[in-house]
Amino acid sequence: MAGSGDAHLRDPGAFDDVVLRVENLVQEFPAGGTVGRLAGRRAVVHAVSDVSLDVRRGETLGVVGESGCGKSTTARAIVQMPRPTSGRVLLGPGTDDEVDLAATGGSALREVRPRLQMIFQDPISSLNPRRSVRDIVGEGLAVWSSASDGPHQEARVDEVLRAVGIDPAVAATRRAHQFSGGQCQRISIARAVVLDPEVLICDEPVSALDVSVQAQILNLLEDMKDRYGLTLVFISHDLSVVRNVSDRVAVMYLGKLCEVGDADAIYERPAHPYTRALLASAPEPAPSVDPSEAAVGDEVPSPIDPPSGCRFRTRCPRAVERCAVEEPVLRAVGDDHHVACHFPSLWPSS
Amino acid sequence: MSATPSPSGPVGPLLSVRDLGVTFRTPDGDVRAVDGVSFDLAEGRTLGIVGESGSGKSVTAKALMNLLPSYADVEGTITFDGRDVRALATARERHFWGVELTMVFQDPMTSLNPVKRIGEQIAECLRVHLGRSRRDASAAALDLLERVGIPEPRKRLRQYPHELSGGLRQRVVIAMALACGPRLLIADEPTTALDVTVQKHILDLLDDLRRERGMSMVLITHDLGVVKGRADDVMVMYGGRTMEHAASGPLFTAMRHPYTSALLETIPRIDAAAHARLVPIAGRPPNPSELGPWCPFAPRCGSRVEACTVEAPPLVDDGTGHRSACFAPLGAGEA
Amino acid sequence: MTEQLPPDRHPRQQRDAHLHVQDIESQTSVQGGYEAMLGGLSFDDSRGRRLGVTFWCAIGWMGLVLVAAVAAPWLPLADPDQTGFGGRLDPPSGDAWFGTDGNGRDVFSRTVWGARISLVVGFVAIVMGMAFGGTLGILAGYFRGTVDRLASFLMFALLAFPGLVLALLFIASLGPSLTVVSLTLGILAIAPVGRLARAATLLYAEREFVQAARVLGAGHGRIIVRELLPNVLVPMSGLALLGMAITVVAEGGLAFLGLSVADGFSWGKLIVMGAAPRTLRDGPWVAMFPIGAMFLTVLALNYAGDRLRWYLDVRELAFER
Ligand SMILES: Nc1ncnc2c1ncn2[C@@H]1O[C@H](COP(=O)(O)OP(=O)(O)OP(=O)(O)O)[C@@H](O)[C@H]1O
Ligand SMILES: Nc1ncnc2c1ncn2[C@@H]1O[C@H](COP(=O)(O)OP(=O)(O)OP(=O)(O)O)[C@@H](O)[C@H]1O
Ligand code: SF4
Ligand SMILES: [Mg+2]
Ligand SMILES: [Mg+2]
Repeated sequence: MAGSGDAHLRDPGAFDDVVLRVENLVQEFPAGGTVGRLAGRRAVVHAVSDVSLDVRRGETLGVVGESGCGKSTTARAIVQMPRPTSGRVLLGPGTDDEVDLAATGGSALREVRPRLQMIFQDPISSLNPRRSVRDIVGEGLAVWSSASDGPHQEARVDEVLRAVGIDPAVAATRRAHQFSGGQCQRISIARAVVLDPEVLICDEPVSALDVSVQAQILNLLEDMKDRYGLTLVFISHDLSVVRNVSDRVAVMYLGKLCEVGDADAIYERPAHPYTRALLASAPEPAPSVDPSEAAVGDEVPSPIDPPSGCRFRTRCPRAVERCAVEEPVLRAVGDDHHVACHFPSLWPSS
Repeated sequence: MSATPSPSGPVGPLLSVRDLGVTFRTPDGDVRAVDGVSFDLAEGRTLGIVGESGSGKSVTAKALMNLLPSYADVEGTITFDGRDVRALATARERHFWGVELTMVFQDPMTSLNPVKRIGEQIAECLRVHLGRSRRDASAAALDLLERVGIPEPRKRLRQYPHELSGGLRQRVVIAMALACGPRLLIADEPTTALDVTVQKHILDLLDDLRRERGMSMVLITHDLGVVKGRADDVMVMYGGRTMEHAASGPLFTAMRHPYTSALLETIPRIDAAAHARLVPIAGRPPNPSELGPWCPFAPRCGSRVEACTVEAPPLVDDGTGHRSACFAPLGAGEA
Repeated sequence: MTEQLPPDRHPRQQRDAHLHVQDIESQTSVQGGYEAMLGGLSFDDSRGRRLGVTFWCAIGWMGLVLVAAVAAPWLPLADPDQTGFGGRLDPPSGDAWFGTDGNGRDVFSRTVWGARISLVVGFVAIVMGMAFGGTLGILAGYFRGTVDRLASFLMFALLAFPGLVLALLFIASLGPSLTVVSLTLGILAIAPVGRLARAATLLYAEREFVQAARVLGAGHGRIIVRELLPNVLVPMSGLALLGMAITVVAEGGLAFLGLSVADGFSWGKLIVMGAAPRTLRDGPWVAMFPIGAMFLTVLALNYAGDRLRWYLDVRELAFER
């Protein structure tokens, strides 16, 4: 996996409806740990290393990978919290209002923020415990409006609250702790869509919820997509959930992309050994892989000192010497199906 | 509830629970967390307990392990290998908790002492419970680490819990649980905090160990998928009560309780098409303080009939050991 | 799932516990019964949170002291400086409730007047501490980095500097006026309050709701005022009462060193005067009554502050597990 490269990015000439393009995103953090610092070593956590992604209007890009692979870091780098170490984050690439968020700052950045919204994993921590729910949902409008459009705003808040299934009258007086986790997540969704964003980044929006409530929220996200014409970047560690929501899937491992492509291709013809291991490890393994392929070691290397060459090589059943020396680059193995591996499973093109 | 024995193997049950009830006496009122749970578990078998958050799975497990706080009222009988464990009084008699009956928790750090080396912790377990000598115990600790598939076990013995990854920690906890050769292992969401690839390894490991040692196991999870194909029997809980209890095969192929079916259908499938509409269960998971003498699932149930809101349906055995508690069971119409 | 449970059999109406049936069920039926089932109930906000009788007693006492202090000039009290109101060291009696001091002045009247300075010092100091310390702490916790380093350096310097030496320095050079004493204690309050505000802010600034506000495009000012202040300062208002208790005692300490307000007298100064060995032996009431007043007030402040902090602590979980 250690895949870099941008072969999977779609040609702006052929597709004029790409709304978000992330190019060569790198995010590094200084590693904590007094020992390292005392020894004078400046250790660095390579949380995200050279990740490129793009999303077309109305599409849902699923990002899947195990804990610590840099999914949240990618999401946060896209919204510039914190700003990535390097790379470009283009909103509306190729259009008149193209902006590179990573090169924008101050009030210019604030002004484009409404175009890109985010939903977080923890529904309770996402809502200010001391504000009424209605107030929370209306915050985006309050930030960006003049006093004159008050009534208009009220109507908008009502509309969005109803769309997520929360009664506006109830929301006016209640605070977050008076709602259940699933309802809090609905409120977060309402807050994010109230400004009519172009792209909505969902960082594990259902991971903290019970299965029955998870289905409600996933259905709601689909509805909201139709209703408001949203484009989603959907991050999750749950392969089944990603399968359900995604048009396109990106599989991450240790800060890099392994495999990107059409969701059907990834799930039905997985080519990367890591993708295959994930699919084989699911409680009910995907039919496209053999359950024995789950046999990859447990130990994820540290992002402070990632393996040379392919980052997956320490666990990969197919690894050979070349994998340690040469980093595999994302390359096409099918129609909209790209893999970063020297020895991918190749499928007869269907 | 009816105390009909559940499906069990040829030998008499190792663990037998009858009308287990747990009520927490909290300052905010009583919380009925478990209500009338009965089941048998035969030697060498795995019972999967499945249910949403708050359905009383952990409280049931803790009741078996005698780990409930003092403000919890426990009723019913728990018989382990013919002994009524709730009647055991002396420390000597209670010795079997931790030796014959052990538990693995969701968060491995709850069972590990953060300031003690792994080796010492396992060895201590052996010395305290089995009276092994120091040298014996550390040799056995090494064996155990090897057995649970920890790479470089010798090095790990000298490490502290925080130096290990979550998966390795959980393996260490399993090693500790196995140290005394338990006859029943209760695993409460042992893999919920772990990554999928690690989860699979841990579940496989537990399965292997169980088979190899002829242990019985109670595997608690909120994920029906985890239990499918791993448990011999499955008990589905909701609002502190047993909704359905059957051998794994019939439970998945001929489920009778609407909750079981709803739970199964609500989970997105890895082999379904993209954007397949999910079938959510309306409302939210049970909150024990809003339960009463009606079917706990009634407010969310699609097949609810009048009776469901008046009284709780009894848990009935259909004669094959398939028990379910519903006034309008699935498949009843066709029969 | 559209039909509701028969009303007489409604699960929640049969219990008299803390759960209410909120009528969300009828209100939320946007999409029929589906929404109705979405958590049609919630906890009463005041559930399990009662400030309690003791709290109100404490507030009552503080109110009494405050009213007496403010209204002292208009109360039918003896002139606190009038010597020879009674005899020398008269014990408490119907005329002089708290007795008289060595100069025959009315101790009751002096205790009431003494409250004025004690309370002013305590109040000014803690308001200063909250205003400057709170601001510094919130800015440090929110902006981190250089701002944090600067603010923390300042607070550490203040903490490291022995408070007594600072007080000596100021009061000796500027003179022991009410303003100087109040401001000195106020400066001493900045660092502890600041550290607490910073810690609380660090905690909340990491929370997703603050990040969500940034993603919405809210500016720093708005985030600090709307998201952080309510979460940081509201719980600190309980702390303010505790802080006031500490400053009232601290002022007493200064009085012992002869560093308290020169013209006029506070409880501290009254205690010092009553604590002279001869006075203490022949007329212990001269010290005891101001001590009692101070003790009760500090106790009330402490208790009320603690209780208030607990009361204002926000609940975030609807359904604790
Ligand atoms: N502020 C930070 N400072 C140092 N390291 C960080 C920081 N944020 C993230 N990391 C590291 O970067 C790596 C990627 O973390 P990230 O949170 O993006 O993972 P993730 O894929 O979202 O995982 P999860 O599924 O657990 O949420 C981890 O190794 C993490 O420890
Ligand atoms: N110590 C306790 N005091 C009061 N109530 C408790 C206590 N422990 C558990 N409960 C209540 O008992 C109910 C059942 O809890 P339990 O932990 O068994 O749920 P669970 O099925 O294990 O759920 P989860 O999947 O979240 O672990 C919960 O709703 C909880 O509120
Ligand atoms: S085969 Fe080599 S390149 Fe491919 S995933 Fe394995 S280690 Fe990486
Ligand atoms: Mg994450
Ligand atoms: Mg549990």
